Amino acid sequence: MQKKSVLISSLLAWMISSSLATMAVADEVSAEKVKKLIDAADDARKQAASVGGEWRDTSKMIKKAKGLLEKGDFVAAAKLANKAAKQGHLGYEQAMSQKELKMPSYIHYE
Amino acid sequence: MKQLFRQLTLMVLTCGIITAAQATTPEEDLKAFQNFYKKRFPNVEYTDYVNGAYAIDPVGRENWEAIEEFPPYEPFIDEGQAMWEKPFANGKGFKDCFPDGPALGSKYPSWDKEKGMVMTLPLALNNCLEANGEKPLKYKKGPINDILSYIAFESRGQITNVEIPSDDPRALEAYEAGKKFYYTRRGQLNFACAHCHLQNAGMILRTEILSPALGHTTHFPVYRSKWGTVGTLHRRFTGCNKQVRAKPFKAHGEEYRNLEYFLTYMSNGLPMNGPGARK
Repeated sequence: MQKKSVLISSLLAWMISSSLATMAVADEVSAEKVKKLIDAADDARKQAASVGGEWRDTSKMIKKAKGLLEKGDFVAAAKLANKAAKQGHLGYEQAMSQKELKMPSYIHYE
Repeated sequence: MKQLFRQLTLMVLTCGIITAAQATTPEEDLKAFQNFYKKRFPNVEYTDYVNGAYAIDPVGRENWEAIEEFPPYEPFIDEGQAMWEKPFANGKGFKDCFPDGPALGSKYPSWDKEKGMVMTLPLALNNCLEANGEKPLKYKKGPINDILSYIAFESRGQITNVEIPSDDPRALEAYEAGKKFYYTRRGQLNFACAHCHLQNAGMILRTEILSPALGHTTHFPVYRSKWGTVGTLHRRFTGCNKQVRAKPFKAHGEEYRNLEYFLTYMSNGLPMNGPGARK
């Protein structure tokens, strides 16, 4: 009986410790991954800003993502960082597409 | 082969025509700008454009005229007059920087050949302060609006007359940069200034009637009920850019200075009527 309870306790302890270890590794990987996503978003924002195409909320999103990362909410932080990166890329593309002056057709020069 | 050559020639000629159409002079731009509004709002008197959306919104105009009976910007004019007359710590004052008096609204924006940039009135005021050892004023909110209100009030009736000197090609470049800004899509909503205030002027956006761009610069600074105070033209630029979800530029930085140069030029010939009151 005693032997059985020792065995169960050991098994339980092993299960808890291994799962904790796995969680810690997962956290470390995710944090690092999210940080990379945030850095990539900031690079995209800077690229858009370099051509005057930064959007209003991009830097706010990056700031918020950093806050979420600190709080350990990796999923939300990654989601926001990706959104910010997309804004950065689109802002850059938009500015590049507007590089030349395009006068609207409704302005008539006579 | 002959057909291909003919098609290529046609393409080159077409491109030439498009390029030629784009290379317009400021005078041609102004004429086209004015003609656009003449066609869009044939019943609006030209000088009435200084009243912004109230030139095309009779209901809003009634409310605005009632507000103008007790103008909310009046205390700002008084404060501005006090600022104008108060000497700086060194004994000098604005009067020394601007010896022709406070009615200097129509002198700005102007091309500063020495500095190679567009000089705006708020920038000139701050240059005066700094040259006399005073702290410059913030460009969007606060006391700058007092002094600007006083100057605008004293300048009422002057005719907008922005000049683009032909002896310095950089002036035309600055004008063209301002024009480019005006027609450039930006922000998450992908709007240019022209989309709201040219193409869709007179249309309703949520509850507001979009004002025509003609006359936009004549009545600044403006007391906006939304702000609960008087604000500068560059504060409004900032707000417009934010509304299309673009990151605004620095007030009196190069982008907005050039934009002011172009936009004020587009109001050439219109009388100045600042400070104004708006919703």
